[in-house]
Amino acid sequence: MIASSVITMGALSRRIAGQRLVQFVLVTLVVCSLCFLIVQQLPGDVAFRIAAGRYGYDYVTADAAEAVRRELGLDLPAWQQFVRWVGRTLSGDFGVSLVTGVGVATELGEHLRNTFELALSSLFLAMLVGLPVGVLSGLRPGGGLDRLTLAWTVAARALPAFMFGLLLILVFSVHLEWFPVAGNEEGGTLLLPTITLAAGLAGLMARIVRDNVIQVTASEYYRFALYKGLSPASVFFRHGLRNIGVTSITYAGMQLILLLEGVVVVESLFAWPGLGHALVHSVFWRDVPMIQGCALMMAWLFVGMNTVTDLACLAIDPRGRRE
Amino acid sequence: MQNKDEDKELRKLQKLFLSGSCWQRLGTLLVIAVALFAVVAPMIWPDYAGQDLSRFLESPSIAEPLGRDQLGRSVIARLARASRISLGLSLCCVLTAALLGGVLGVVSSWRGGWIDTLLRSFSDAMLALPGLLVVLIFSAMTLGGFWTLYTGLAMAQWVEYYRLVRARSRLILSSPHVEAARLLGFGPLYIVRCHLWPELRPLLLTLMAFGLATAVLALSTLGYIGVGLQPPTPELGLMMTEAFPHYHEAPRLAVAPVALLALTLSGLILMQGKGVAR
Amino acid sequence: MSFTFNSVRIAALAVCSSIAMLAQAAPPLKIVGPWEIHSIDPAGNGVFFTRLQVAESLVDADTKSVLRPGLAESWKVSADKLSWRFVLRKNAFFHDGSPLTAQDVVRSLEIARKKPGVIKTAPIKQISAQKGDVIVELTKPFALLPALLAHASTQILAPASYAADGNVKQVIATGPYRISQLAQPQSILVERFDKWWGKAPDIDAVSYLSVSRAESRALMAESGQADITFGLDPVSVGRVRQKGSVQIVSVTLPRTILVKFNAAHAALKDVDARRAISLAIDRAGLTKALLRDPEMAATQLFPPTMADWHRSDIPPLKHDPKQAVQLLAALGWKPGSDGVLMRDGKPFELTLRTFPDRPELPPIATAIQDQLRKVGIAVRVSIGNSSEIPAGHRDGTLELGMGARNFALVPDPLVTLIDDYGDKGGDWGAMNWSSPVVTTALQRLAVDPTDNEARAHRAQVVTQLQSELPVLPIAWYRQSAAVTRKLEGVVLDPLERSYLLTEMRWRKP
Repeated sequence: MIASSVITMGALSRRIAGQRLVQFVLVTLVVCSLCFLIVQQLPGDVAFRIAAGRYGYDYVTADAAEAVRRELGLDLPAWQQFVRWVGRTLSGDFGVSLVTGVGVATELGEHLRNTFELALSSLFLAMLVGLPVGVLSGLRPGGGLDRLTLAWTVAARALPAFMFGLLLILVFSVHLEWFPVAGNEEGGTLLLPTITLAAGLAGLMARIVRDNVIQVTASEYYRFALYKGLSPASVFFRHGLRNIGVTSITYAGMQLILLLEGVVVVESLFAWPGLGHALVHSVFWRDVPMIQGCALMMAWLFVGMNTVTDLACLAIDPRGRRE
Repeated sequence: MQNKDEDKELRKLQKLFLSGSCWQRLGTLLVIAVALFAVVAPMIWPDYAGQDLSRFLESPSIAEPLGRDQLGRSVIARLARASRISLGLSLCCVLTAALLGGVLGVVSSWRGGWIDTLLRSFSDAMLALPGLLVVLIFSAMTLGGFWTLYTGLAMAQWVEYYRLVRARSRLILSSPHVEAARLLGFGPLYIVRCHLWPELRPLLLTLMAFGLATAVLALSTLGYIGVGLQPPTPELGLMMTEAFPHYHEAPRLAVAPVALLALTLSGLILMQGKGVAR
Repeated sequence: MSFTFNSVRIAALAVCSSIAMLAQAAPPLKIVGPWEIHSIDPAGNGVFFTRLQVAESLVDADTKSVLRPGLAESWKVSADKLSWRFVLRKNAFFHDGSPLTAQDVVRSLEIARKKPGVIKTAPIKQISAQKGDVIVELTKPFALLPALLAHASTQILAPASYAADGNVKQVIATGPYRISQLAQPQSILVERFDKWWGKAPDIDAVSYLSVSRAESRALMAESGQADITFGLDPVSVGRVRQKGSVQIVSVTLPRTILVKFNAAHAALKDVDARRAISLAIDRAGLTKALLRDPEMAATQLFPPTMADWHRSDIPPLKHDPKQAVQLLAALGWKPGSDGVLMRDGKPFELTLRTFPDRPELPPIATAIQDQLRKVGIAVRVSIGNSSEIPAGHRDGTLELGMGARNFALVPDPLVTLIDDYGDKGGDWGAMNWSSPVVTTALQRLAVDPTDNEARAHRAQVVTQLQSELPVLPIAWYRQSAAVTRKLEGVVLDPLERSYLLTEMRWRKP
C-alpha cells in the first residue's frame, strides 16, 4: 500500500512537473513574440533611442545614432530577425542591453538576486503576521479581530501600493528618521519596501486562512474529533492544520501574482535595483532585450513559484489536487 | 462530487449578490456615487486644462471647492475628468475582456477538439504572466497611448473569464436540459440565450466588479510609474505624482485623488461581498 | 599557556582591531542624483567619471571657465598655429600603479577620435608622442583645441582599461579617487587614491546612487539619508530649505531651457510667426510658479553669467499676447469656430516634444501649451525619450522640441554654438535655418581673432539669434543641490564637469 501511494505521488508530481514545463515553454514563446512585436512596432528610430540612452541627452546626435545602427545591424528583414531572436533566447543568450552595453544575463543575475531578497522577506513577513491573525480570527468568527481583518483587506486593496509606500517614507524616514528612504545598502533599506509589500499580502492571507479555518472547524471530522474527547488544541494541530494548509497554500499561490505586480511599483519607488525597477526602466528606454529578459525572468519566477506550491500541496496532501 | 461543490459555490454567490447585506449596500452606494460624480461633475466644471499662472495653488472657495493646482488649473474639474477617464477606460477594458473571454469560452467548450486545446494552452501561457507585466510590455509600443493601454488591460484580464465560462459551459452543455433542447431542434442561439446566459450572468458580473477594481488600480499605477496616460491628460495616479512635491503647502492636491480612488476601489470590493476572499 | 587562554587573547585582539578599524573608516560621502551610469566608455558617459574625479583629461577648467593645467602641465602652439605641444606631468600615476606616459595619452586620444564625440570637431591631422610630450598636428588653425581637450570624452585611461578592439572594459584612470565598487547602472563607490599628483583630499570615500524618481530624491535629502542631492524639483528645493539640517547650494548654469523650431514647417516659416509665439509666452509667470525663481525668466538666449555672450543692449523678449495675435492675423491666420487659428482650411496645430529627465520640463511644456492656446495655437505635448528630438530633427518630423541646452559642453561655448547654429543647423540647435552672418561670425571666432573683433562677432551672432529666433529661449537654469550642514567647502561647478570633491571637508564638531 505504501509502495502504491509512493508510485501515485511520483506519477502525480511528474504530471504537475510536465504541465508546468509546457507552461514554461509557452510563456517563453508568448513573451518573445510580444517583445519582437514591440521592436517592429516602435515609432521612430531605435538607433536614436539607444544612442540617447548611451550618450545622454546633451550628446545625442545623428552621428551617434549611425554608429549604433552599424554596431547592432538593425537592418535585416523582420522574419529573419525573429528567428534569430527566438533561437538566441532559447539557447540562453539574452543579448546585450541596448543602453548600457552590458550583457543582459549578467545584469539580470544581479536584479534577480535583489528581487528575490525583497520578495522572500515580504512573503516571510506576510506569513508571520497573516497566518496567526487568520487562524485566530477564524477560530472566533464575527469577533473584533475578524472585523479588523476585513477592514484591513479592503483598505489594502483600495490604497495603491505607491501611496502607502510614500506615506511610510514620510512618517518613518522624514519625520521620525528611523529608516533610510531608498536604495540598496546595509542599514535597513530593506525594511520599508518589505513592509509596503507585506501589508497587502498579510491582510489577504489572513482572510484566506480565516475562511479555511471556518470551513475546517465546521467540518464533520473535526467535530467528531472534539466529540471523541480530544482537547481543542490537539484536534487543531492534528487534524486542522494539514487541511488548512492545503487550501491556504493553493490560494496563496494565486496571490503570488499580487506579489510580482507589487514588486514593480515598490522597486520603482524605493530605488531598489531589482527586476521590477529594471523592467520599468527598460520600457521607458525601449531597451527591448532588457524588457524581454526581465519579463521572461518574472514569468519564469512565477511558473517556478507555482510549481513549488503545487509540489508543497502534494507533499501535505498526497491525494493530489482535485481539478 | 465536483458538481455538488460548484453548485453550492454558485448558490452561495447568488445569495450574496442578491441578498444585499449591509456592507454590500454600502459598496453599491459608493460605486453609484462615484459613477454619478464621473458623469455629472465634468458638466458642472468643464474646464480641466485652463491654466492661470497668477492663481497657482489658490485655496478652496465656493466656486472652486478644491481650489487650484500648481498651474492654476481647477482641481475639481481635473478630478471629475480623471474619474471619467479612469472609470470609462476601465469599464471598456472589462467589457471587452468579458466579451472576448466569454465568447472564446463558449466556443472552446462547444467545439472541443483542437480549438479547445489550442485556446487552453494559450490561456495557460497567459496565466503565467502577471497582468501588470502584460500591460507594461504593451505600453512599450507607444508610451501612454490610449489604445495600447486599452489593448494591454483587456489582454491581461480575458483569461479569467475564459476559464470560468469554459468550465461552467462544459457542465451546462453536457446536462440533460441542453441535450433535450438539442433533440427538440432548438438552434445554438436559443441554447446560449436560455441555458448558458442565465447561469453565467451572476458569475460574470462578480468577476467584472473585481476586474474593474484591478483595471482602475493598474491605470493609476502606470500613471505613477510614468508609462501610462501622459500629462496633461488628468488621471488619478498622475495627479497623485504631480501633487506629491506640494504635500507640505497644499495637501488637498494629493488627498483628493487618493480619496476618490480609495472610495471607488472600496466600493467595488465591498460590492462583491464578504465571502469572496480575493 | 593553556589553549583557552590563547584563544581568548586572539579573540580579544580581533575584537579590538575590528573596533579600531570601524572607528577609523568614516562613512562615505553619499551623493544622490538622477543620472545613471549607462556605460563606462568615455565617449558614452565619460562626464560621470570626471564628476566623481576618477578620471582626468589633459586640460582642466575652473569654475569661471578659465582653462588650467590638468594632466598636461603646460601647452603651447607653434608659430604657424598648426602644431600644439602638451607637456605632461612627471608624477602622475594610473590607479593600477603604472606611470602616465605620452604613449598612453596618444592611445586614449586616438581611440576617442574613432568614436562620436566633440574631439571630432577639431581638424586634427595626427597625434604623436615625442620625448615624453604629446604633439597634436592640425590641418588648419583651431584656437579651441585646449578647450576641447578639457572635455570628459578625452579623458586619459590606462592601457589596461582597453580591450583589444578599443572598447573599455574597466575604468583605470589618474584621478584622486579610484573605483572601489561599481554596480551599473545604479551605484558606485569610490575611494581615495594615495598616489594622486595633487593635494590629498579630505574625504576618504564617496558613494553615488542613482534614483530616478524626483520625489524619492527629495525625501532622501529631507531625511538626511543623502549628504548631497541633485535633481530636486523646484518646489522641493523650497521645502528642503526650511529644514535646518540641510542647506541649498546653487549656481546658475550656462544652460537655457529653449524650444527648437522647425523653420521649414508651413506655419513656422515666417519669422513673424516665431516672434508671435515668443510674445505669447509669459516667462515671468512661468518661472515664478513653476521654477519658483523669477530671475530665471529668459530675456535672451544666453544667461548673464555667460558674460562674453550676454548683451544688455539688445531689446529683451517680452510677453504681449495682443501683439502676438496681431502678428498672426497679419500672416493670414483667422480664428476658427473652436478658437484655433485657421489658414487655407488648415488649423494652427503643433506637437511639442520634451522629456522628463529634468523634472521641470513637463510642467513647463504644459504651461506653454496653455499659453499658446490663448492666442489660438493648438499644441499637443508629447513627453517621451530625449532621443526623439534629434531623431525628429533628422527625419524632419519635429515641429517643436523643448530641452535644456548646455552651452558649455566644452569650457568655451563657441564649440557648441558652431555645432548648433552653423550652416547645417544642429540636432539641438537651429533646424532648417541658417544665417550667413552668423555662420561667418562663428567661423571667424574659431580662428582666434583679437578681443575687439571677437566682441563684434559675438554681438552679431547674438543680435541675429534674438531677432530671427530659430530657437525660443524660455528660461535660464539655476542648478540647486541639497547639502547637509555637516559638510563645508561645497561649491557647484557651473560647467558640471566635476563635483569638486577635493575641495570639500567634513565640518569639525
